[in-house]
Amino acid sequence: MKSVRSLYVIVTSVAAGSLFAAGFAGLYYSGAGEGLCSAGYAFAASACCFAAAAGVVWLGWHWLRLVRGITSITQQLGEKQSSCIKPSNNKIINELSEEINKHFDGNSSYIEELEKQVKDLQLKIQLLRRQKGNTDAIIYGIRDAVIVIDEFDKLLMANEAAGRLFNFDYKSSQHKLVSELVSSEKAKAGENEFVDFLCQSRQNKVRHTRREIVFSNEGKSRIFDCIVSCIYDEEEQVCGIVAVLHDVTREKEISQMKDDFVNHVSHELKTPLASISAYSEMLVDGEANDEQTRKEFYAVIQSQAKRLNRLIEDILNISRIESGLIKVEKKPVSLTILIEEQLQMIRSYAEEKHVEIIGQKPIVFDQVYADKDMISQVIVNLLSNAVKYTPCGGSIKIETEVDEIAGLARVSITDTGVGIPKDEIEHIFDKFYRVDANKNQAEGTGLGLNLVKQIVEKVHNGRVFVTSEPGIGSIFGFEMPLATAEAIKV
Amino acid sequence: MAERKVLVADDEIHIVHVVTIKLRNNGYEVISAENGDDAFALACEEKPDIIVTDFQMPGMTGVELVRKLRQNETTKDIPVIMLTARGFAVEDKEKEELEISELLSKPFSPKELLRSIEDILYQRKVMQNK
Repeated sequence: MKSVRSLYVIVTSVAAGSLFAAGFAGLYYSGAGEGLCSAGYAFAASACCFAAAAGVVWLGWHWLRLVRGITSITQQLGEKQSSCIKPSNNKIINELSEEINKHFDGNSSYIEELEKQVKDLQLKIQLLRRQKGNTDAIIYGIRDAVIVIDEFDKLLMANEAAGRLFNFDYKSSQHKLVSELVSSEKAKAGENEFVDFLCQSRQNKVRHTRREIVFSNEGKSRIFDCIVSCIYDEEEQVCGIVAVLHDVTREKEISQMKDDFVNHVSHELKTPLASISAYSEMLVDGEANDEQTRKEFYAVIQSQAKRLNRLIEDILNISRIESGLIKVEKKPVSLTILIEEQLQMIRSYAEEKHVEIIGQKPIVFDQVYADKDMISQVIVNLLSNAVKYTPCGGSIKIETEVDEIAGLARVSITDTGVGIPKDEIEHIFDKFYRVDANKNQAEGTGLGLNLVKQIVEKVHNGRVFVTSEPGIGSIFGFEMPLATAEAIKV
Repeated sequence: MAERKVLVADDEIHIVHVVTIKLRNNGYEVISAENGDDAFALACEEKPDIIVTDFQMPGMTGVELVRKLRQNETTKDIPVIMLTARGFAVEDKEKEELEISELLSKPFSPKELLRSIEDILYQRKVMQNK
């Protein structure tokens, strides 16, 4: 800016100097001239030159002021000290400053608006980041498998459960095609169906669709409830898909078990009821012709009513134990004394069947921390089973052992009964399970041994065991912790 | 007129007993079996006029027994009444496919069973005479 100003000074000085010189030269020549007329012309020219020189000087001075004013404005703008330009003595500069200030005023409100918008956007970004953090935490935290894909079927997000289910690294698989991740060359059964389901959901543009898909791997099957939700853009086009896969295998198993149980209960309850109903109808209709037959019919009705009652009691007891609603009153009890009490009850039944009972040897310390009534039920169930399935002339031996090192008391009941086939032994403690071959040996609910298992294992942290050989006999028994000070405290 | 022969198959001896008495009192000859295998062997040997079988039996179930009967030349036309203590044990389609004449739910009435047997045998006789 200084060089421009210097240039103005030089040009103005040179121009003014030249004009003054021309004026002086005019005056000089007018004196030396010959005629009055020419002298008058020279004088007029000199005056013009002086006036022009004075004009140039004035113009130069004026331009310099303008340049100074513009330089000052430029400096103020450059320094960015304020949005307001200071007023000047020069009218033009003042006008310019005012215009610039007006412009500044307009711009500053616009800038303020923009700054506000930027702040708002920053806040929104913060909020969105926080929301994304929450969403990520939810997605990564839930046990269900979650897969989020974009409109090109590329993975946007997946959680650990999804990675585990489809066997891919969920952290580093973003932007890979879902079909490559989920349905590989060695695709497990169900994976291709899942990918097809995603494609169908996209094509059909349905907001939420649901399907149960069975995924099988190495002989193991798991059932998943798959919910696929489409995400839409402003033009209602599908721009992404969220798939949530909930493992319902256990729920299905429980539901199946419940159905089986209800079916079993229905069958087992209806069977004695059928006899009671049929025999009583025969009696009412006078189909029992003689006293002997009538007595026989009454006996059947009575025995079937008892069977029905036993069934209901057993079902209720098992149900109470399973639901944890049964009242358990544990205290130190002697197994030997409990066995003796139950033997008194069973002895007459054994004598009827001509089955010998070989009693136990007394043991000094055989106390267990148990519910007396429940363990009595266990002993009586095992003893009565042994008598029921032991033919005439057979024997039953009861033994109690104490393993002080392991802190366990063990009761074994050995019979010389019909035994259990090898392939059926693993089911013998199942609800309603009865060995086909032995079914007609004695009546039973199929719940007695299950009740034994529930009482010993679920209520008393013990263990039931069985060994058997068809035609030779069986050993049924249980073991449970001794009533040590620690056990009682627990 | 020759006695009509009924085969009763059930693993519940009390049921077999009561049905036997009811049918014998009403002029039927009754043979019985406690399981599906014995029932099939007896059906082949004795060719009964009608079979009353339980749905659930040890070994071969009632449905399996009927399927086997239908596949055998000598037993394929014998009418069958099935007793069941399970609700919806046999689907309608299966009942039709196996030509099970009647499905009776336990507890059942011996009178009702007798009536069903008589109806089925009567219808069969009418069909044969046509």
